[in-house]
Amino acid sequence: MAAADSPSTALRRRDLCSRGIRLAGKMRADVVDLLDAYVEQQGLDASASVAAVEGVPLAAVERWDEQTGTQRLLENLAAYRAFRALLAQMLEEQREQLGEADAGLGRALAALLLQVSAFAYHLEELLRLESRGVPGEEGDGPPPPRLSLFEQKLRGLGVLRELAQWAVRSVRDLRQLAKPSTATGAASDLAESP
Amino acid sequence: DIHVQYERVGADVTMKCGSMDWDAAVTWTANGTDIDESHLNGSYLILKNVDLSQSGQYSCYEGSSWHLKYQTYLRVGIPPKEPVLMCRSNNYPKGFYCSWHLPTPTYIPNSFNISVIHGTKDMVCEKDAVPKNRCHIRYLQLFSTVKYKVTLTVTNALGKNFTTLIFDEFAIVKPDPPESVVAKPVPNNPRRLEVSWQNPSSWPDPETFPLKFFLRYRPLILDQWQHVELSDGTSHTITDAYAGKEYIIQVAAKDNDIGTWSDWSVAVHATPWTEEPKHLTTEAQITETTSASTSSFMAPPTTKICDKGAMVGSGAMAVCWTAGLVVAAYSVFFI
Repeated sequence: MAAADSPSTALRRRDLCSRGIRLAGKMRADVVDLLDAYVEQQGLDASASVAAVEGVPLAAVERWDEQTGTQRLLENLAAYRAFRALLAQMLEEQREQLGEADAGLGRALAALLLQVSAFAYHLEELLRLESRGVPGEEGDGPPPPRLSLFEQKLRGLGVLRELAQWAVRSVRDLRQLAKPSTATGAASDLAESP
Repeated sequence: DIHVQYERVGADVTMKCGSMDWDAAVTWTANGTDIDESHLNGSYLILKNVDLSQSGQYSCYEGSSWHLKYQTYLRVGIPPKEPVLMCRSNNYPKGFYCSWHLPTPTYIPNSFNISVIHGTKDMVCEKDAVPKNRCHIRYLQLFSTVKYKVTLTVTNALGKNFTTLIFDEFAIVKPDPPESVVAKPVPNNPRRLEVSWQNPSSWPDPETFPLKFFLRYRPLILDQWQHVELSDGTSHTITDAYAGKEYIIQVAAKDNDIGTWSDWSVAVHATPWTEEPKHLTTEAQITETTSASTSSFMAPPTTKICDKGAMVGSGAMAVCWTAGLVVAAYSVFFI
């Protein structure tokens, strides 16, 4: 049987969730601004439908309300680690293709990358609080296939759109996690999860 | 056999009297009233450029026997125009509803069919019993970037039309207005009004999906609104109200992160607290009050021009020295 949270754990969780919510809210606002700039500077159609891109974690989820606290944290962490790698790749491609021509976009991407890294670390802190081991990061897989410039732009659009969705989802996930009843659920996951 | 015949407004209609020959002698009636022979071509009834008033029951009787040979209900109408469709989520994240109507009536029965597709998946829109032109869908997925495509087709006997809406999950989120808005004066504060409200009851989980609010207020005598946006809480104190003026106040709500603002709530009225007016009292009134203890009458304050001791004359003609001097000076001036 899982032990109830200590008051200090509950307080620490609430504090981490509050700060995480603010981080995710700021991140979302910045992604939305960056999306507008990206679409304009890359000459894309804002309403263009982008098929799911391989490697981009989809925020869409079924039975979201039934997820346990630990599930939420693990899915969020996996997603933001993936976004960290994707944004780093976008930044590199941006610099290769355009050099200094699009310094503003490059700076915005770099700033977003920092926020994503910070948020991933924040999620790791929450997982440690749940006495849940933080899963190790997957090693570098085979190098991604070389895409054409247009394909890179479309993938970038897909990355930013999904990141915007994830930022909203993360805020909701952390609010769920901050609820006392959910916190108990997360603790009891510990006993049930393999 | 009962027939129903649908025809467009403005059409020319020819009705045959069942299996009767063209040259048979017949009588046509419309809603029981004989139709003039000028509208007949042999035994056929010809109605040119029909209008809505010509809808009704048409009957054809054999000339001599008055046997009923044919009967039909003529329904004059128009094909449907493009319907108006709206979809909205006022109970996010549970689901959304779509409602529709025709911009102009068709005057004949219509049927509506709605289809909802999310990506490649067909979704079921469950029709509401009331109102009839509405259906609702439960979200199977949340946080999806894949758009929803809703197509509404309206069909009647004279034609069909359709409209399509494409939107993403976040765009249609619009809560109902806040409920139970109350505005009260604050005692001993002539410039304050305390406003409180509640989350709309249709919003299922305000803890995980908190709402933010927009309050607007103005004195009735002015047209310009003041606005305040509030990111949390369901109350606010207005601190810059004009003393003594009646105010009109409304509140709107929006999900903290997505979607659009609700409509404005029902308006409430309130006036800030005002101090009770204090009456000025003279020595005479204090005396009168103490001597006439049964009387509750308070004499109105009087404006003193001069002291009692400076009065000249008596009764209604009593004037004081100062007033007398002024009058005298004016009199000399005008003589």
